[in-house]
Amino acid sequence: MVNIIYIIILLLGIGFLLPITEKLGKKVSNSMFFLTLTSVSVISVQWLYAFIINGQTSLQFFTAGVKPPLSINLQLGLSESVFITSINILALIGAVYLIKHFNNIGIRSHVLYLLMILGLNGLVLTRDIFNIFVFLEITGISTYALIGSDLRLKSLIASFKYMLAGGVASIFLLLGIIFLYHNTGTLNIDGMIAASPLQSGLKIAGIAIFFLFFALLIEMKQFPANGWALDVYEASNPGISGIISAAGTAAILFALYKVMPLGNDLWFNTIAVIGIITFIASNIMGIKQKNATRLLGYSSIGQLGLLLAAMGLGFLYGGINGKFQFIIFALFISHFIAKAGLFWIAGIVKKKEIKSWGVLRKSPVLLFFTGSFMFALLGFPPFPGFFGKWELVLTLANKHQFLWITAILLGSLIEAIYLIRWFGYILKEKQEENETIEQGATKYSSVFILGTILFTISGLYMIYNPITNLSFYFYPLLFIAFLFITDNILPAYIKNILSIAGLSYYGYVYFNQFSEFRFIFAVIFLAGGILTLIPGFVKKGKRVGFYPSAIIMYVGLLGLLVAKDMFSFFTAWEFMTIGSYFLIIRGKRSQPHALSYMLFSLGGAYLIMFGFALTHVFSGGNGIALDLLNSIKSNSALIFTMLAIGFLTKTAAAGLHIWLPGAHAEAESDVSPMVSAVLLKAGVFGLILIMISSLRFDAKMIIYLLGWLGAITALLGNLMASFQEDAKKLLAYSSIAQLGYILFALAIMSHIGWMAAIWYAMNHFLYKALLFLAVGAVVVKLKTHNMYEMGGLIKQMPFSFVSVLIGIIALSGVPPLSGFGGKWLLYNAFILKGWYLQGAIIAFSGVVAFLYLFKLINSIFLGPVKDNFRKVKEVSIWYLIPQYIIIIAIMVISAKPKIVLGKIGDFITSYMPDNLVVWKGDVASSYMNGKLFGVWDAPNIMIIIGIIFVTLLSWLLIMSRKAQKVEMFNIVYSAERPESPQTTHFSHNIYSHYRKALGFLALPLIVNFWSFIVDSIHSIADFVRRLYNGNGQAYIMHILGFMVIIYFVLFNGGLF
Amino acid sequence: MNLILILGFMLLAIGFWGMLTQKNMIKIVIGLTIAEVGVQIIMISIGYIKERTAPILDSAVPLADAVNKVVDPIPQALVLTAIVIGVAVNALILSFIIRLYKEKKSLSIDDYKEMKW
Amino acid sequence: MIKKIFSLIIIAGLLTVFIPIILNFSFQTDLPDVAKSYVEKGSKDLGAMNIVTAIIVTFRGLDTLGEVAVLFIAATGIAVLFRKNAINDKRPKQISKRDSSEILLTGIRLLAPVILIFGIYIFLNGHLSPGGGFQGGAVIATVVLLLFLSDSSYKINHKIFGFIESFSGVSYVIIGFLGLVLMGADNFLDNRILPLGEFGTILSAGAIPIIYTLVGLKVGTELASVLDNMKGDIE
Repeated sequence: MVNIIYIIILLLGIGFLLPITEKLGKKVSNSMFFLTLTSVSVISVQWLYAFIINGQTSLQFFTAGVKPPLSINLQLGLSESVFITSINILALIGAVYLIKHFNNIGIRSHVLYLLMILGLNGLVLTRDIFNIFVFLEITGISTYALIGSDLRLKSLIASFKYMLAGGVASIFLLLGIIFLYHNTGTLNIDGMIAASPLQSGLKIAGIAIFFLFFALLIEMKQFPANGWALDVYEASNPGISGIISAAGTAAILFALYKVMPLGNDLWFNTIAVIGIITFIASNIMGIKQKNATRLLGYSSIGQLGLLLAAMGLGFLYGGINGKFQFIIFALFISHFIAKAGLFWIAGIVKKKEIKSWGVLRKSPVLLFFTGSFMFALLGFPPFPGFFGKWELVLTLANKHQFLWITAILLGSLIEAIYLIRWFGYILKEKQEENETIEQGATKYSSVFILGTILFTISGLYMIYNPITNLSFYFYPLLFIAFLFITDNILPAYIKNILSIAGLSYYGYVYFNQFSEFRFIFAVIFLAGGILTLIPGFVKKGKRVGFYPSAIIMYVGLLGLLVAKDMFSFFTAWEFMTIGSYFLIIRGKRSQPHALSYMLFSLGGAYLIMFGFALTHVFSGGNGIALDLLNSIKSNSALIFTMLAIGFLTKTAAAGLHIWLPGAHAEAESDVSPMVSAVLLKAGVFGLILIMISSLRFDAKMIIYLLGWLGAITALLGNLMASFQEDAKKLLAYSSIAQLGYILFALAIMSHIGWMAAIWYAMNHFLYKALLFLAVGAVVVKLKTHNMYEMGGLIKQMPFSFVSVLIGIIALSGVPPLSGFGGKWLLYNAFILKGWYLQGAIIAFSGVVAFLYLFKLINSIFLGPVKDNFRKVKEVSIWYLIPQYIIIIAIMVISAKPKIVLGKIGDFITSYMPDNLVVWKGDVASSYMNGKLFGVWDAPNIMIIIGIIFVTLLSWLLIMSRKAQKVEMFNIVYSAERPESPQTTHFSHNIYSHYRKALGFLALPLIVNFWSFIVDSIHSIADFVRRLYNGNGQAYIMHILGFMVIIYFVLFNGGLF
Repeated sequence: MNLILILGFMLLAIGFWGMLTQKNMIKIVIGLTIAEVGVQIIMISIGYIKERTAPILDSAVPLADAVNKVVDPIPQALVLTAIVIGVAVNALILSFIIRLYKEKKSLSIDDYKEMKW
Repeated sequence: MIKKIFSLIIIAGLLTVFIPIILNFSFQTDLPDVAKSYVEKGSKDLGAMNIVTAIIVTFRGLDTLGEVAVLFIAATGIAVLFRKNAINDKRPKQISKRDSSEILLTGIRLLAPVILIFGIYIFLNGHLSPGGGFQGGAVIATVVLLLFLSDSSYKINHKIFGFIESFSGVSYVIIGFLGLVLMGADNFLDNRILPLGEFGTILSAGAIPIIYTLVGLKVGTELASVLDNMKGDIE
């Protein structure tokens, strides 16, 4: 093994030497530069290998031939080697990225860069406290010079402010060091810790440690003493910002980690609090930020705060080993790679405004990596941050630190607001044609390498983390990777075939593993997946981005069913969320809706994660099996509420629904059925899961409230649907209502109620898929969503007409189709339960449903044809195929409902033996107090109504011969052409009178509530960030004021 | 007594006062330098032991009894490093001010508020 | 005004932090153990009369190497800030400078060699008396400063200065490295790679005089080029 001091020798020696090699030409000096960085990386990688693979124990390296504390020593253990390896490899890639910039400035910038890396390595390695100061100054000064080296005014100003802040920090660092020396008589960190100065009870020792920590907190850029840091991130060359943000903070974090043991619990707590305040505050301020690199600065500082908080908490709860080591590394490496990557991409894009980042779409590879980096920062699977956050939440829950969990999850959610919004701009914001981004192999390849490393590490996490369900995820993720790689090569139809084949294969493999209600959902997810993929054959070209997203979503959905433990469930939930987000945002005007979808989902997901963590704790703290939900011992109502709200964000219950109409209506026409008919059921699945568990504990009150919520959701959804003029929005609101029925039925908590819920889930899947496919295809054909622009299409599109007809009959719940069964079960259920008031609302909303269903078919297919649509043809066969498969399915289950309800009945009986439904063949009967209460004879209804229908139809057909054809009369009077099409459509706004009567129910109260929340966050953000008034002097004042404040806080805590 | 220590802390306070109140960037840097000198004085005073001499083992200090005759050399060594580093930083900051002045022809820190919020 | 009040409050806050230190401070009465070993070992093992020098150059040599690096970085950074192409595009007005008086010119020419020799004396005797590479280098740089002040046409030879700067820096690292090679893995920057010589003479204390000479040369040339850069051609 190579002595680690060679890193110092190489960097310093070559740094000194480089200026005289300038004469030898750029090639020589550049190759020396890279050779040095490569050797340094190789040395550190070699040690890392020794530590990880060979189990090498921690080593000391001495200087000057004497042992510490007389001399300065370096320590190299696993953590040190991880940090220096990360730093040195990033430095090497960064050098590739920056080489053109450096060559423009001249050889001295190479020197500065080498010495900065030297400083970073030294900070990690040294065990001498004064040596930390020296290396901090080396890092600092070389960074100042590098920032200012491009001589732009902004970089100069930023660097100047940085120097002032750094100067103040150094003063306090020196004070801390010298008084610690005074107290302990040594400069060696280990010796100092052994002398435990805080225990000595001397006032000076306490203040000395205060100075030391304070100086490092300033270097860690903690709120509010960090205005200068934002300027630095904004103004420097993004290549350098990336290095500062990633490697610089890594080294200082490690330096702080080394001296942390000097503190006590009060200190650890204070540091954690400062960290979390920084995390939340800078994320809030980030919301208002429009400048890309400054925004990245806010995000960097926020992440740093999170890392600091995790470290403080780690020390508070038993030291950084095991769990906390894992957590901090996972959080660290995500930030480390992702932030460097994003800064570097900013250097390629060269657009100041985040709204102008749409140019990234010109380079799919960069776009892909941008997304990956952002999602890695937010802690989505499969990236390491995901694992870190999960463990952090679980560990904190074990210590009963619920406030901490709340704060961390809140901060993460706020961070998601601006990152996801930004990514939305990148994907969707309009861009001028001639805009281009910088080309250049060096920058691209650096980002590419960084991205590859991120995915490699993520892969290692997925593979080696014992709690991932690898047997399930391995091949799907491989398949998704394949789809990503070939995304720009293969045509859409091949990918479509592959995707359908993949889904079918997985269905084949896993189908017999599912039982009971999981089986029903497996049918919905898999059959739904295949059916909704079929229309994809229409698409020409490559349809870039669609297939990976769809498969991610379906893998997530299946993962929910496969999951045996809470972690797998949560992983699947997140995969599903990511996939569906990317599907939804594909629509033309989807960007804001996709954002709100993502935020609601994420908020829900965090609640679920929190709930799971609590489940783990309050079921005894053993393991994370999903079945633990059944053995929660205390706080069950709270856990149940959290999980329920989490799942309700997905089912869009009233109050949490505002994302749905836009997201579903604006999605592409084959995506709408995916996210509406299929995806919503994931929430239902989760609800069923926790409601089964709720039988073991007392959550009756909450479930009762959920029943009301379901009823209200149903009514509001249907009312809103009736007032829509946009066909797809109408269907979207109808989904909200249908999910309200399901929630209501579940909340009844009886055998027959759950039968209704399962039946509704299955049926909503069928008829909503049918309707969305049919209407979606029409919408694509006519290029408008507005029903008043359609009309009389029955002749042009008879097949679509039949589909919609069957769909609305099934949905409305009139016999003989399946919806009737749903109503029968539901009405039986609430009457038997005695929920008359809620039942009345449900029944009333059932009536309201007729309004919009009639409007749907009437406005689109009946009435006079619009002139411009006279030549429209039937929609594509690829849309019709799945529709007719669904129609057959509806017919079958309408006649033989036991196919769906038979087995599930036995399963439900085992949990809820009251209010049984008794089957005789396909005839179902319900009993009240032992007496026969209702009978549902599906096959006979089918036959009878079928006969009536056929009779009537044939009679109509015979009669229609005698009917007189009426020509369209011209409604354009006196040469005046009405400008707006609405006014000439017979069914536009037909329910205005109902609106007058019931419109108060449809007032946008909930939307207003949420926009009030959003506005408040924005104004808080705008208020707080005024602190950063741009004046370097004010920043010094912040630093000193911050110091005085911490001092008094600690003084009150009794530290001094 | 510890007059030297008081002097050091006073210089620190004066330096910070200058940094907080002066508008001229050069004066702010002078404030920083004063504060640095304060720290250096504090550092030196910490190594002081009454009635002892400099840690140079010449004829004045007998080798055998040196341990009881000299003051603590460590703070002196540290302060040398601190001074050199301080000089380096100050030189760099002043160069930045020169560059800034070239760009905008102003030495007032209030004129460099391009980046905020 | 508000700013002044805030500043006052903050300074008052700082004083409340500082005052307990002053009140609770007590001077050392005896050397800490580490310092004791330095005093004993510095003379015995390293052969240096000046204990501070022994600490700076050998015991805490890594600090000093870092210190040299800091100065080097600052000089490099300043050179980057005032680099040629950056100044050219600003096109400063050439201002004619009045020549210095004959007396000043002659006086400084007379003094310069003496000061130079004094600087060299300081770093050569660093292990024996107060002084050392940094101090000596600073004195040498004053020579250049005086020449700049007296003779407006005086220019330093960048090639030679740059070469000395790099050469002395690299040599310093190499001497440290020789410790690793000649004495073992724990002996980076050990001054005992050379014989310790007779205690108290100029050729003693192993590599310390050599290191201090290199540091003196490096600091002198670095500060000189910093002065040269800062002098610039600014109107």
